[in-house]
Amino acid sequence: MRTRRRLILLYGLTLAGSLTWLAGIGLAPWLRSRSSPWAPVVYACFSPVCHQIPERSFGLFGHPLAVCSRCLGIYAGFLAGTLLYPFRRGFAGVRAPRTALFLVLSAPIVLDTAANAIGMWATPGLFRFFLGLIWGPLLPFYFLTGLGELALRARTK
Amino acid sequence: MNGQKPRFLRPALIGGAAAGILSGIPIVNCLCCLWILAGSALAAYLLAKDSPEALKPGDGALVGAFAGVVAAAVNSLVSIPFQAVNLAFSKRLIERLGEYLDQMPAAWDEWMARSAGPVSVAWFFAGLLIAAVVFAAFGALGGIIGASLFGKKAPAAPPGPPPSPPQP
Repeated sequence: MRTRRRLILLYGLTLAGSLTWLAGIGLAPWLRSRSSPWAPVVYACFSPVCHQIPERSFGLFGHPLAVCSRCLGIYAGFLAGTLLYPFRRGFAGVRAPRTALFLVLSAPIVLDTAANAIGMWATPGLFRFFLGLIWGPLLPFYFLTGLGELALRARTK
Repeated sequence: MNGQKPRFLRPALIGGAAAGILSGIPIVNCLCCLWILAGSALAAYLLAKDSPEALKPGDGALVGAFAGVVAAAVNSLVSIPFQAVNLAFSKRLIERLGEYLDQMPAAWDEWMARSAGPVSVAWFFAGLLIAAVVFAAFGALGGIIGASLFGKKAPAAPPGPPPSPPQP
């Protein structure tokens, strides 16, 4: 019972964090549209993990989102995977996805990212978004497995 | 638990340094968060390599989070000298785009203004703190993925038959 409660709590925190992260991505351009001094702060929160190049980002309220289209797809996919998690895994225990599944779902985004980086082709923003959306749902299954295993280990000590 | 700190330190330093440097180099850093995930997965791989037992996902999360914090510190330092290079690259890019567009979108001016400002000490440490928190979370994820991919060990071979007694 305690196992289940701990896992549910971790799941809730992950879901809340994911929603907050996505909300921040949309909050940045809204603040910018209102000339808020907090806009640079919100953009800065996402700058460590995204180049934020306007040409590669979708827009909202007339300003670019806080992350590029690929990153937006990954984070939206992460949220989708988090919502799917209780139906696929439940809260009785933790188990990481199979390696083969990770390799299959990672191949498109890895190939496209590498091809763009070396200048083989330039992928449109919407396609980058969908590639991130394919990969993103897998990530919370790893995230919750690792944190869940840590939480359960702490309980048995 | 005390024995785990030295065990985690070297993989976290190596993986974090690699991720931090690659995240700070111009052009190369266009891969966004993927460098942090890769660096943390590298840390998990190094930890698994030296471990006689299979690496647990929780250990991957811990070493990945440590690697993320290291990456944040390294990235903050590496970005300082490259800020001028990044700015010059961005200016050239916008000048080339300006040859094809009558009017640059306002978003580009805002992006340039954000990138061109001087780095104050307070802003540097605030950025470092934000990066440490964000990179630690991404690093934990990368470490868990690394533990899942590289942390398995082959099951121990069953013991062989006992040696036959010597012939008289």
